[in-house]
Amino acid sequence: MHHSKFIEALGAMPLTSATVDGGRWVIGLEGDKSVTIKQNSHVELLVHCSAHRQMLRLNVERDAELRIVHVVTMAECKSNIDITLAERAHVSMTQVVLSSAEAKVVANLVEPHARFELGGAFILKGEERGVVSADVKHMSADCSSRTTYKGVASDNARGKFTGLVYVAQDAQRTDSEQLSRNVTIGQARIETLPQLEIYADDVKCSHGATVGQMDEQAILYMRQRGLSFADAKRLQIEGFVKDIVLHAAIEECADKLSDLLQEKL
Amino acid sequence: MLKVENLHASVGDKEILKGINLEVKAGEVHAIMGPNGSGKSTFASVLAGNEKFTVTEGKVEYLGEDLLNLSIEERSRKGLFLGFQYPVEIPGVTMANFMKIAVNEHRKYRGEEPLTAAQYLKLMREKSAIVELDSKLTSRAVNEGFSGGEKKKNEIFQMAMLEPKLAILDETDSGLDIDALRIVATGVTRLKTKENATVVITHYQRLLDYIVPDYVHVLYKGRIIYSGDKSLALKLEKEGYDWLINDYKEE
Repeated sequence: MHHSKFIEALGAMPLTSATVDGGRWVIGLEGDKSVTIKQNSHVELLVHCSAHRQMLRLNVERDAELRIVHVVTMAECKSNIDITLAERAHVSMTQVVLSSAEAKVVANLVEPHARFELGGAFILKGEERGVVSADVKHMSADCSSRTTYKGVASDNARGKFTGLVYVAQDAQRTDSEQLSRNVTIGQARIETLPQLEIYADDVKCSHGATVGQMDEQAILYMRQRGLSFADAKRLQIEGFVKDIVLHAAIEECADKLSDLLQEKL
Repeated sequence: MLKVENLHASVGDKEILKGINLEVKAGEVHAIMGPNGSGKSTFASVLAGNEKFTVTEGKVEYLGEDLLNLSIEERSRKGLFLGFQYPVEIPGVTMANFMKIAVNEHRKYRGEEPLTAAQYLKLMREKSAIVELDSKLTSRAVNEGFSGGEKKKNEIFQMAMLEPKLAILDETDSGLDIDALRIVATGVTRLKTKENATVVITHYQRLLDYIVPDYVHVLYKGRIIYSGDKSLALKLEKEGYDWLINDYKEE
């Protein structure tokens, strides 16, 4: 991500230590890293890829709040983010994938009342191949999770979403939602595989997945008002993924993410 | 302004328009009436350039140009506006943003500079007043969650923003209560000048109480079978179409 000015403006400092108890940090992912978010702290992390393979383990202690914005613009990178949430920990994450990449997020809710939210979007075009996955593991009671992942593929691009919600036997009163919504344009294809694996009996879990085409009627409508086909298409895609970016886990990132999407479209 | 000669159009193998002739001059208002399924909406769609329909015969001249050679957006930029019978919802795209791009595309086409943010806001305020459109709606997604009346007002608002030379309003009155109808129709009337023309497609005479037509045409089975002045609409309201279409039943 060549956005040092943006990061500077956000006041984020490169993260070097293995434990943090507050502040806004930027991590360029390379190799393996483990970071502990201290209890009761509020931490914000901007994550980007700077190597082709990375693994980031985040250990979020009791009552800590962690906000993550993860942007993948580097082609052919494989990123893994593995988050463990202790009691009443709250993690809110936004992930935007704009290149041929594999991005995997795993959230382990290991103690009661942990909350995890993920809003993701991938936009692929040309010959790009993107694979994203979000696994949420409810290992303890009274936790909640929300996953919304939106995918757009045009030209000959291929996209794939895999989402697992696992609810262990002891994880009673789990409240979980998972939604995968996708739009394909032209020859592009998107595969979505949402999965639920539930071993507890008192749970509220919903999931949904859609893959649709671009809305021809909307394109026609916009062109009738004088927009070119390209602008109409761009506007529609932007509209489709916009809520993910608008509700970015770190609010000040919304505009920047929006610009990145615009560039990609 | 618009000259339609022997226009035939099909969707798939099915011919819907079977030889339409119509001439519209600047300053005129034409009403097109007719029973359901007679081809009224298809006619509007073909004029707007909807690629779902294939023109198989005939020609359409618009401002001295071959209209059928122009893309949908070129027709729009040259001043042709279609008010949709079913305005489309576009999630995540605000009215304000959508119209800004549209207005500036039109300006670019005419070789004018894009509007500044302040100019644009002022224009939006002025134009939304014409149809008593709640200005909050312009910050919402296009037509999303709008009521039936709001959607139709929004069509006329867009018409006001784009100041078309030829406006084709496809059943703008359908689904409107009497107040919304008055507002929409008054809006259209206020936008009327000597230089532009309006074609209204409608089922009901009541719209024509507000938008008084110079000509009324009856479209039936893909042809205009009868034309008259505004008294024709009143007669149709009273007597229905039977007296006109009996001769065509066998076709």
